[in-house]
Amino acid sequence: MSVPSRILIVEDDERIRSSMKLALEGEGYEIDEVASGEEALERFSAHPADLALVDLMLPGMDGFECCRALRRESAVPIIIVTARTDTHDVVAGLEAGADDYVTKPFVTKELGARIRALLRRVRPVDEAPRIIAFGDLELVPEEGVLRHKDGTEVHCTKTEFRLLCELASSQSKVLSREQLLDRVWGYDYFGDGRLVDVHIRRLRTKIEPDPALPRHILTVRGMGYKLVP
Amino acid sequence: MFALGALVLSVSMGALSYFTTRHILVDQRESAAVSDAFVNATYVSQHLAATANIDETLTTANKVTQYSHSFLEERGTWYRGTLQVTQDAIPASLRSMVITGGIAASQTYSLHGTPQIAVGVPIKSIHGAYFEIFDISSLGHTLNVLELALVVLVVVITALGAAFGRWASGRSLHPLTSVSRAAVAIAGGDLGTRLASTAGDPDLAALTSSFNRMVDQLQERIEREARFTSDVSHELRSPLTTLAASLEVLESQSESLTPQARRALELLAADVRRFQRMVGDLLEISRSDSGSAEISLEEVDPGELVRRAVAAAQRTLPIDTAPPHVEVDPEVHGTHLWVDKRRFERIMSNLLENASLYGGGATAVRVSLGNGSGPVHSVRVSVEDAGPGLPPAERMRVFERFYRGHAAFKRGAGTGTGLGLALVAEHVRLHGGKVWAEEADSGGAKFTIELPGQPAEAAEDEELVGGNGPA
Repeated sequence: MSVPSRILIVEDDERIRSSMKLALEGEGYEIDEVASGEEALERFSAHPADLALVDLMLPGMDGFECCRALRRESAVPIIIVTARTDTHDVVAGLEAGADDYVTKPFVTKELGARIRALLRRVRPVDEAPRIIAFGDLELVPEEGVLRHKDGTEVHCTKTEFRLLCELASSQSKVLSREQLLDRVWGYDYFGDGRLVDVHIRRLRTKIEPDPALPRHILTVRGMGYKLVP
Repeated sequence: MFALGALVLSVSMGALSYFTTRHILVDQRESAAVSDAFVNATYVSQHLAATANIDETLTTANKVTQYSHSFLEERGTWYRGTLQVTQDAIPASLRSMVITGGIAASQTYSLHGTPQIAVGVPIKSIHGAYFEIFDISSLGHTLNVLELALVVLVVVITALGAAFGRWASGRSLHPLTSVSRAAVAIAGGDLGTRLASTAGDPDLAALTSSFNRMVDQLQERIEREARFTSDVSHELRSPLTTLAASLEVLESQSESLTPQARRALELLAADVRRFQRMVGDLLEISRSDSGSAEISLEEVDPGELVRRAVAAAQRTLPIDTAPPHVEVDPEVHGTHLWVDKRRFERIMSNLLENASLYGGGATAVRVSLGNGSGPVHSVRVSVEDAGPGLPPAERMRVFERFYRGHAAFKRGAGTGTGLGLALVAEHVRLHGGKVWAEEADSGGAKFTIELPGQPAEAAEDEELVGGNGPA
């Protein structure tokens, strides 16, 4: 048995925090819990976690700021806990660096599934070449590395990296949002397409010379996305 | 209305002045005729005392007054100062009244269509009587001119009245029209509607400000109510999250519990989940009520959408629920729908859950084309069950919140949230579609939703529709 994954719970309601800790411990995770964003950053730099669970409504530093601060420090997968799915909160949270979200009141099984999807290793892609080059970039799926030809690494999160790998390995074929949701996040047909859109937007700012006029990650109207070298 | 009033008024005023004038004129003419006749009678009686030439006397008398004919009766013999008419032109009643009665009298009458005044004056000195007939048709002409003038006046006044009335009523009813328009808008749900300020008019300013105050209060109450529902649901979510998480911990260790405790845990779990769904539904509905619901539309293939939604819904239903037969009309292929997938999934799962709770499970889900032309068609999705069906009286009411029909007390009673179909109606409404219940061919209930093929604002799909920027 491998070392259990460490999950940092950032939640100000003590009862929710305790019950989540109990439930997730039952699933075999090691839990670290804090009640505020400030504490979360402190704890994280002392004991980096494998995944952070951040409530958006926190006293003091709010969840968005907490996500941004964590993201500045690390590529740790972040799941935000939000009140509503149909507000700008979700998109704002994703743009602040979150990888996924759950809505309160959530079912622990659902949360467990989201956590597992983010923690699993990058899907091995058999047909894909060892190094995929596009523009002046090189993607090395097996090493989990995205770098410029001159060797400087482009920092991206696990989710961004996986998304890029999926697009790269489909060899210029269009992937629909549903396919990407399924392969990267483990969602079914009814997953939230905004997850894909926000991550694509973030990826573009990292790899496109001009994110407003993308040359590599193209939108195919009404169908999905594709990567062109 | 105003024109009618003007018409009635001017007609009655016209008639009144016509008849008054006519009366006065006729009176005047009559008294003039009477005094003329008396003067002539005096002249005739005096003249006859001096000469015995009756004819000449009468002719002279005849000439004194215009348009008149003089007659003299003396012991049954008639003399006349005119050749145009005979004494028969004098009404018989007047003749006898004057000759036998010995009283002076006058009478207005019509002779061959022309108005006449006949005056008779007894002349005692000769045991006779003097008669004179006055032709007053000139008076008739005057009256005709007057009549014509009045008719023209009536018409003009009516037309003016109508025009004025239109203007005045438009002006005075304008505030009422705007109040009624505002009330219709408010009833239609547009609570932001207010009347424009009418500071210039003190009467209207009072109406406007009290109307606007009323709407302010109404809006505040409605918003407060929606906020309350939303706040309550929000507050319930924290304890529910704790409950649900703790419950799952207990469930994961249920093997170590006694059978009674395990049964109790099952009951607890079932109701906590129902509670969770109910709070979720309440939140969703309060969002709809407060108008803050957001819809994000995507272009999808209707057949695939429905198949996927049925499969997803099936996972939330009891394991022994037989999956319904999904039938997609070949006509539907090639059409596209713009839907919010999350909301559509909820629509289907609520309809299937409803069928499972009250109709013994859904038997068929059909996808077909609705109304439309060319490539733009609405799409209908119907869910049928093999249950007892819905009585016609309940077919509308089932979409009300917490409505419990007769079926709700049978098998599975109390396991729904009571909001499932109300939410279906809300989600469908947000899509600009329709939902209704009817009887299936099998006798069971049939719920049909119809979604428009192309919504007015279809460009909500921010990324995929956004393109790659200017080419």
